[in-house]
Amino acid sequence: MKIRNDEMKVSITALAIRFALMTSITLPLSNLAIADAATDALTKPTSTIDFGTLYSTNPSARFGQYNGLNSEGAYGIGAFDIRGGNGYNQDSNSGLRWKLGGSNLGTTSRSLDGSISNQGKWKINLGYDELQHNITDSFQTPFLGDPGQNNFTLPSNFGSINTATGQPGTRSLSNAKKNAFHNENESVNRKTGSFNTTYTFSDQWSAEVDYKHLDQSGAKLIGSGSQAGIGLVGGLTAKGEGVNILFNPTSYQTDNINTTLNWKGDKGHLSGGYFGSIFHDDYNSLNWQNPMATNAERSCSGVNCYSNNSMSTAPSNSLHQANLTGGYDFTSTTKLAGGFSYGYNQQNSSYAPTLTPQFSGVANNMMQANGLPTNSLNGVVETKHGDIKLTNQSIKDLNLTVGYKINERDNNTNSNIYKYQNIAGEPYQGVNTPYSNRKMQYEASAAYRLTKAQNISLGYEHENINRWCNGVIGGAQCVSSPTTNEDKMNLNYRLKALDDVSFNAGYTYANRKATNDPSFRANAGSYDPTLGAVSHSALNAGNFLGYIAYPYANRNQNVGKAGVNWQVTQKLDLGVNGRYTYDTYDATLGVQNGQSAGVNVDTTYNFTENSNVSAYWNWQNGQRNLRSGNNGSQISAPTNIWTNQLEDNSQTVGFMGRHGGLFNNKLEFVADLSYALDTTTYSTQVPYDSACGTTAKLTCGNLSPIRNELWMLKLVSNYKVLKDGKISLTYLYQQLNSNDYYYNGQQYGYTPNALMPTNLQQQSYAVNVVALSYSYGF
Amino acid sequence: MIFGTKKGAYSPSEPKSQNTACLTCHDKDQNRTHWESGAHQSADVACTSCHVTHTAHDKVRDKITQKDVCFTCHKDQKSQVNKFSHHPIPEGKITCTDCHNPHGSAGPKLLVKNTVTETCYTCHAEKRGPFLWEHQPVTEDCTNCHTPHGSNVTPLLKSRPPFMCDECHDGPHNSKNPVAGNAAGIQGGLTGTPANPSTSYTGRACLDCHSMVHGSNHPAGALLQR
Repeated sequence: MKIRNDEMKVSITALAIRFALMTSITLPLSNLAIADAATDALTKPTSTIDFGTLYSTNPSARFGQYNGLNSEGAYGIGAFDIRGGNGYNQDSNSGLRWKLGGSNLGTTSRSLDGSISNQGKWKINLGYDELQHNITDSFQTPFLGDPGQNNFTLPSNFGSINTATGQPGTRSLSNAKKNAFHNENESVNRKTGSFNTTYTFSDQWSAEVDYKHLDQSGAKLIGSGSQAGIGLVGGLTAKGEGVNILFNPTSYQTDNINTTLNWKGDKGHLSGGYFGSIFHDDYNSLNWQNPMATNAERSCSGVNCYSNNSMSTAPSNSLHQANLTGGYDFTSTTKLAGGFSYGYNQQNSSYAPTLTPQFSGVANNMMQANGLPTNSLNGVVETKHGDIKLTNQSIKDLNLTVGYKINERDNNTNSNIYKYQNIAGEPYQGVNTPYSNRKMQYEASAAYRLTKAQNISLGYEHENINRWCNGVIGGAQCVSSPTTNEDKMNLNYRLKALDDVSFNAGYTYANRKATNDPSFRANAGSYDPTLGAVSHSALNAGNFLGYIAYPYANRNQNVGKAGVNWQVTQKLDLGVNGRYTYDTYDATLGVQNGQSAGVNVDTTYNFTENSNVSAYWNWQNGQRNLRSGNNGSQISAPTNIWTNQLEDNSQTVGFMGRHGGLFNNKLEFVADLSYALDTTTYSTQVPYDSACGTTAKLTCGNLSPIRNELWMLKLVSNYKVLKDGKISLTYLYQQLNSNDYYYNGQQYGYTPNALMPTNLQQQSYAVNVVALSYSYGF
Repeated sequence: MIFGTKKGAYSPSEPKSQNTACLTCHDKDQNRTHWESGAHQSADVACTSCHVTHTAHDKVRDKITQKDVCFTCHKDQKSQVNKFSHHPIPEGKITCTDCHNPHGSAGPKLLVKNTVTETCYTCHAEKRGPFLWEHQPVTEDCTNCHTPHGSNVTPLLKSRPPFMCDECHDGPHNSKNPVAGNAAGIQGGLTGTPANPSTSYTGRACLDCHSMVHGSNHPAGALLQR
């Protein structure tokens, strides 16, 4: 075979020429390819699918409060984010994009969503979200009935409990009674379905519809005072203020819909819409049996051992609201913006039953004869809102703003007299006082750029609140503070000292003046127009003379804040910020003053493109001083004065680090360590009682702090496998050391004598979680 | 125009200039109606302080990662959302923008609705009523009692009953009496023959009986007990 080697021979010169020609063509091409890849990376999203498993070492409702990991054991990890559509194709004129997503699929915190859109024309979103709010797993109760139901009974052989003075009552339950206690988990499930669509008709017109359906189930614990004075089997008399902690069902459905039609022109835009919110509760009452009696205990059996009780649940209601917002640009520097809304809120849910079957089939009527004026409230509240704001920047470096806002809650519910038996079994007359209020705010501000690096702003705001009730029967005044006026001024300064250092400081002073009428009579339900001042009427809302509730007291407020942010280098950032607030109240009795402070320090160092470390420290403190008295009346000021302080302290420290780019960019480590300590302390001084600190009283001194200490360590390693895969190994350790005096009075043997034990336990936990997952990107 | 907030090879343009460019298209929009002189605009926050353009994943528009962007500046809230009682913000089930509109609003604190109560009722419609027997401060402002970003006292309370109730009540029933270690009951050192802690001070305290603090719809519930 002849080999034509000659034809294969190429001179060095020819090769050089060919290489030069090739490079001249391919270099620009490769540049283009790089540019395309960069654009793709920015505009063409990567889809991912994650799956794996995790193991949690301990059961804890508190640890799994919202994350769905409340049980010990293995969970599936599932998540996906898949995107596509011709809109991502640069060669296509299409704007069509779609997305499917899901997260936390292996837990009760799962969510799913999907969307499809044609950019600039229309978009449709669908979503589904689940959230199981785990509250406690240590609740114990003798009541029969599942959480979520509204009727709770006692075992027929439970028997009554003697709560007479001097008796241990519920602190000394027999073994038979204790055997009736069983565990029930307290949790609320929320399932939300959502639909959202937008459509653009033209450059000027578009519309949007947003709909959400929220379905709630489960229950939350609630206290209950029982009806007193009811005769029971064996000559027993039911105990009022016999407290049973019950499951209040959250069997709710809420439908929210928001529709908007938008218009925009060259100088203005306008949006008009409707917001509707329909709330439905499957129940209108919560019913239970109370075993507590004011006299001797009986080993009776059957329903007649107990008094039957009933209380209301959240009433179904609706809100229909029309909204209009918009803006108009007079010039490029003078702009007007504002809005208006009107809402109609109605509640006409039938009242809870007031007749409860009692001993020997005789019903206990919670109402007096002819005491029930209507079977439902037919409550109507109209809400009105208006706001308008004018901004002007026509003077160089000066921004001016004036604005006005009004919000009104106009309660047009009818007022009636309700004659009933209170839980002490006494006849009582109440007049419902539907509260209305109107808040108006005027504001003006000016911001001026002193130099290129300095800005200063000054603002003034006046707030006026009026409170009243419409058509209260008997003409009773219903609020102690019909009017509040507050003036507020603020001054802010910003300085960019260098390119890398910015500083800001601000100060706000507010002065609130409230009218107070201590001669006003009655809060809801204690005014008796037929008996006047000698009845259960309560002057000053029943408070002693000189006492003013803090939201309605004169107040001076001083707020200061300052912060520095320093970009030390391109790799290192440092920030220090602080704030301080001090309020003083002008009230002889009531909250005297309060303060809050906070400091935050944080820093980040990016030592490479893929690696950084950061640390932060946050401290917050809040205090409140209260002055009160215990021997006065509504017409004479108390002389036995006691004081109480609340102090909240919070400290959080955190360190985070990320180190990537290892093993040819395949391996990355992430670490997150944080520590938080929160304490709440109450301290009381009772100078008029030298025996207040004795163990028989303990009405002065310090209460053991509510203390919650949380440690969290999270370690994540990500390792790239194959071309588009990633294996993640995660370790999480979380420990809560919780100490709260709240639980003391809930335990067997330690309750008040008329409070059914719940045996609720402190919610401390220590949980290890290990997760292994694979993420595939495409 | 240099977008961004941090100095790199070049210093970023002033926020106002950056924002003008963005607002060319995103101005006339119901979500940005109140941008002018709003809290963020006044503080010279640039669009790029929160948003990243030309990316498939803008962290502030993602339910899971949005909070991290907001917490860059709002550091007190970053700490508060991890307190014992909190909304499911760290868990990514509620986002900052569920309650706040960072682009400006007619409500206080950039809330999405016109008032605090309206905003809260979006999710807590069972509290909306109107109730037959109303609790006045509840009808005015939920934050009279609650602190929405997190609390050491569940459920998101500013203080614990009976101390919280004492801030508005001094006279009726046991609200006039001082309370200290007796709130911790027998295990807190209370003695007697027999020792009997009070339902008014221990556990739920006032709420043991006055449990309908958000309002009662029971004809015999004027004192918010039923």
